[in-house]
Amino acid sequence: MANIAAKRIKREFKEVMNSEEVAGGYIKLALVNDSWTELQGTIVGPPDTPYEGGTFQLEIKVPETYPFNPPKIRFVTKIWHPNVSSVTGAICLDILKDQWAAALTLRTVLLSIQALLSAAEAGDPQDAVVAKQYRESQQLFLLTARHWTNVYAGGPSAIWEFDQKVQRLLDMGIDEHEARVALSHYDWELERATEQLFS
Amino acid sequence: MADYFQEMGWRELEDGEQPNHLLHMARFLIDFGHYDDYLTGEWPRLPPAASKEAVKNLQEIVIQTENKECPICLKKFQVNEKAKEMPCHHLFHEKCIITWLNQTNSCPFCRYELPTDDEEYEAFKKQKLRAEQRKEDIETLHNSMFS
Repeated sequence: MANIAAKRIKREFKEVMNSEEVAGGYIKLALVNDSWTELQGTIVGPPDTPYEGGTFQLEIKVPETYPFNPPKIRFVTKIWHPNVSSVTGAICLDILKDQWAAALTLRTVLLSIQALLSAAEAGDPQDAVVAKQYRESQQLFLLTARHWTNVYAGGPSAIWEFDQKVQRLLDMGIDEHEARVALSHYDWELERATEQLFS
Repeated sequence: MADYFQEMGWRELEDGEQPNHLLHMARFLIDFGHYDDYLTGEWPRLPPAASKEAVKNLQEIVIQTENKECPICLKKFQVNEKAKEMPCHHLFHEKCIITWLNQTNSCPFCRYELPTDDEEYEAFKKQKLRAEQRKEDIETLHNSMFS
């Protein structure tokens, strides 16, 4: 790894560890290997959002050309959000693309991703299905996001009705995650989800 | 009227010169709000490198105080160390800021933009400024009529 990249990541790592946000438990950063090329980030879901109470893991890959190019970051924890792919965890955030600036750090990037959870950008979606639901049936979107937070990120509020529907599909021998994705995509209409799964 | 033509980048036709209809069509479309996303929206990729001239003309200063750090490599400057200063007064190591400006034209800290050598990008910036100006003009006109 290029010298400047490794040196900067080491300095940043110190900065994050001494930050208020780590002390307050809002974000975390951990090394994955000794080469400083891959890190694991953690953010907690912001209050007053359907992600509240959840803990979300992020995969951070640092390119050789860092900090002249942005780190590659995706959600490892599955999440229902218009700007995050519900399949791959890819994030649509301008500062991770053409609005990157070399003075941004892993700390400010993690905080920006956390802010994205509070304020989605439906005009610039990563996941078209989620974005459509976000725009057209806000209530259903909030429930679905809370349900995913409960199941995948350890969030506190289980949605009984959704759990029941997933269970119905499980009983038919369908994989749990596949069942949840199909139901989420079809606004929790059991019939349409079943139809799609068996077509 | 001369000012208006100048502002619009127009001039009178030379003797025997035919008007450029394609250009007129394009201006017409832009002025009536078509191609908005492309021409007055966001530049679709990283803005181009800063112009060689602008990079050459960056001020060099000598660091006087402790505890300042270069926002690119995050290393603290030593007292008496040389640093490059952007017009927005942010300080960087020469090597750090030049690598960045060879890639894109703005301050890594505050996004202050230096000029570029890229004609297409400069035209885009001008167009964007004009669109903003026009929006303001319309608003002023609207307010003067209805308030």
